[in-house]
Amino acid sequence: MATSSSIKKLRSEWRLYFFVLPAVVLIGTFCYFPAASAIYHSFFRWGGGDAKEFIGLANFRRAAGDIVFWESFIVIAILVTSNVIKLIPSVFMAVLIHRLKSERWQYWYRVGVVLPMIVPGLVTLFIWKFFFDPGQGALNRFLDLTGLKALLVSLDEFFHWGIFHAGLPIAWLGEPSLIIPSLIIWGFPWIGSVGVLIYLAGLQSIGNEVYEAAELDGATSWQTFRFMELPLIMTQIRLSLVMLIISTLQGYGLQFLLLGPEGGPGGRGMVPGLWMFNKAFFAGEFGYACALGIFLFLFILALTFLNQRYVRVEK
Amino acid sequence: MKSSSLARMEAVGRRSRSDLLKHLCLIALLGVSLFPFYMMIQVSLKNNTMFLENPWSFAAPGSWQWDNYVYAIKLVLPYIINSLVVSIGATIACLTISISGAYFFARYQMPFSRILWSAFLVLMLMPTVANIVPLFSVLQSLHLLNTLWALVLLGASSGLVLTIYVLRNFIEEIPKDLFEAAEMDGASHLHQIIHVVIPMSKSIIGTLAILTFLHAWNDFLMPLIVLRDPHLFTLGVGLIYLDGEYVKDWGRIMASFLVASLPLIVIFLFSMKLFIRGLGAGAVKG
Repeated sequence: MATSSSIKKLRSEWRLYFFVLPAVVLIGTFCYFPAASAIYHSFFRWGGGDAKEFIGLANFRRAAGDIVFWESFIVIAILVTSNVIKLIPSVFMAVLIHRLKSERWQYWYRVGVVLPMIVPGLVTLFIWKFFFDPGQGALNRFLDLTGLKALLVSLDEFFHWGIFHAGLPIAWLGEPSLIIPSLIIWGFPWIGSVGVLIYLAGLQSIGNEVYEAAELDGATSWQTFRFMELPLIMTQIRLSLVMLIISTLQGYGLQFLLLGPEGGPGGRGMVPGLWMFNKAFFAGEFGYACALGIFLFLFILALTFLNQRYVRVEK
Repeated sequence: MKSSSLARMEAVGRRSRSDLLKHLCLIALLGVSLFPFYMMIQVSLKNNTMFLENPWSFAAPGSWQWDNYVYAIKLVLPYIINSLVVSIGATIACLTISISGAYFFARYQMPFSRILWSAFLVLMLMPTVANIVPLFSVLQSLHLLNTLWALVLLGASSGLVLTIYVLRNFIEEIPKDLFEAAEMDGASHLHQIIHVVIPMSKSIIGTLAILTFLHAWNDFLMPLIVLRDPHLFTLGVGLIYLDGEYVKDWGRIMASFLVASLPLIVIFLFSMKLFIRGLGAGAVKG
């Protein structure tokens, strides 16, 4: 729809297109082209080089029957669900900080919350890997010191899990049934720096006098939370939950670093993204990896649309 | 009047007394979440025997193993330089491109700009997980494999859409008179960007720069795929190889982790206020 005014603009301001050109080129090359190329190559047997062979829908049929791939969705479902619990400490922390009367203290706690961000995520992850080490790791030593290990062992004897044994170190990343718990425990107490800051920003509109009024009315602190604070930050909680879920669904760096490309012993920590990564860069089946990627893409896209429809994030 | 202020004072008194409990809770939570970093620092000053004897607390100051740091700096410094090149390059490229792109969208309704805008926005909804495999072959055909350029370009492009989106909203809120006045003075678009847009949106540009930088700094999957030569390794790849060594000298490893964190600590010290305020404010806005 080229109206006369927009044609006039086109004549006088055509130079403006040069301002958007770099963005178009970059996004075209590194976002759109790879996406198109993934769809194209999913119909080929392709090892990443020049040689490729058209095989129609065979990659998709294979993916549909790939047990490892579908089982990895169960793992990811558990990890996604655990995100709901992992949000609680951040919300709790934000509310506590906001309720403090002294603004100076509020500031210093904010600094404390942001501190973990300055350590690269990778380093935090590796320190946790070190905590999980069976012989020298802090986690096992802590459980030994506090006697919790004995408790776990007796629970094990009672329920016949066969996981915890007296006198043997717990192999957090080596025992198949402990892999998912380890993937969840990692990062305890899961204080998300950005999350806490976002909640604090949401709470800003409650001033001190509102708390005083609530207190005069005899509101318990749970009621204050439930009816005053929670409604105010519900949008932010939803937003960070959605972002956490999307990044969990797409992510595989965590599993790759903690467990390796095979998803740990028994492949119990295998997630869809890792399987795709593994197929491409360890098995050299690029075409098949593209097909897996498209399945994953469609799955996440469907969730995104559901989220747009039902979990509206008001601006 | 008097009784109500008395009641209020009483309420305030109650509140500050119960703040003690809040402080305890907060300190406990922060303590546990900062515990890994405490361990990193104190283990970095020990050798393996000292660590096995006493894993929990700092060693006596006289016996601190400074050679761990000599080893760490020698090992990590080249990685840090590569990471700095990549992250700074990506941040500058991303912001330059997105400021001018956002200016294009915000200033005029040009023909095709609406189509282009929706083509950009669609990318925000699309999961990028399927891209990594073909991205590899794009880089291969551009002869960018095993170069830091590849990482600069990827780092710049991955956050581009979001950055343009946020900046467009900011530029649209700048009063139109400012642009018109500049135009009257014969300022070109480039001049308007430099003298109007950038000064007016300094704080959001700072926040976006930090986020882009952090994203590029923390990435390790793309570098792992792209880089082959050890002398090109960025921090992420270097640390992965360090972690993969069979015999673990924890003191040296932790010292390397700490050295790897130093650049961000320095940046953080300079931008703490911007960080804490800007991040919260930006989150509410966007």
